[in-house]
Amino acid sequence: MSQEIAVIGSPDFTTGFRLAGVRKFENVPEDEKDDALDEAVMRTLEDDDVGIVVMHDDDMAHLSRSAREAVEGSIEPVLVTLGGGAGSGGLREQIKRAIGIDLMEED
Amino acid sequence: MAEDVKPTRKNLMAIEDRIELSERGHDTLEQKRDGLIMEFMDILDQAQDIREDLDANYETAQRKINMARAMEGDVAVRGAAAALKEHPEITTQSKNIMGVVVPQIESSRVRKSLDQRGYGLLGSSARIDEAADAYEELLESIILAAEVETAMKKMLTEIETTKRRVNALEFKLLPDLHENKEYIEQKLEEQEREEIFRLKKIKAKKEEEESEAAATEAESELEVVEVGD
Repeated sequence: MSQEIAVIGSPDFTTGFRLAGVRKFENVPEDEKDDALDEAVMRTLEDDDVGIVVMHDDDMAHLSRSAREAVEGSIEPVLVTLGGGAGSGGLREQIKRAIGIDLMEED
Repeated sequence: MAEDVKPTRKNLMAIEDRIELSERGHDTLEQKRDGLIMEFMDILDQAQDIREDLDANYETAQRKINMARAMEGDVAVRGAAAALKEHPEITTQSKNIMGVVVPQIESSRVRKSLDQRGYGLLGSSARIDEAADAYEELLESIILAAEVETAMKKMLTEIETTKRRVNALEFKLLPDLHENKEYIEQKLEEQEREEIFRLKKIKAKKEEEESEAAATEAESELEVVEVGD
């Protein structure tokens, strides 16, 4: 089954991806993020046609705890965050929990 | 816990079987956990490289689109973005690493030539083309990162589950079984000692009775002899 890539974020963030042909996007203006971002994320997660969700790492802070956990733990679609360096999107925490050591510590 | 089992030889044998099975399971799971961690380390190296590329691509893409916005205006960039007709698609296949099904994502129509973009050659500028190019490259690395990071997430979940199983066997199930085994062994030994003691008692009593009977018999015989005289 072929799927698509979805982008969630401010209009500035999503425009570039639309230029590369991404059709599924959720524009959430900067000042509405606290209220509207949760809903946008949950809507995207429920969309079966979406295989990858792209978000900016800073936007993760605007999410409520449950939405954050849902999107970080989700495998289909999988979340890729930009701008947060390695181990963003909860991966680093999960590694610490599963292996017991922080393998992503920056040298 | 130990008091829950009946101290019988049958139970002891059953517990010994369970201990053997649990120990075998524990060893196997431990090997699985170590194998998974080794596989995970390989993927981790790969993931860190991909992440670096991803961050670099993101920075370039951002710089290029900012440039396009500054030179052409926000409206032109948005207009071009809205005109795109070809959409990148991804198809997912799966691969099995030590029992963990990880995805292999293949993409199509990420890279597009100028005429495939749909916003026309005359209506846009080279800056917008460059930004679109950079974002297409960024999408490619996002797809790679998604593949590797999903594999990592799945493997981490499996490592966690395996680790919990190993620990449950090592620190809960096996000690409990050993405790039960010891309890039954001690109880059985105690029963055996009691049995020996009881037998000894019975033997002593029997001997006493026998000697008493012999004494009375001897006495009666003596009396008979005396009367006979």
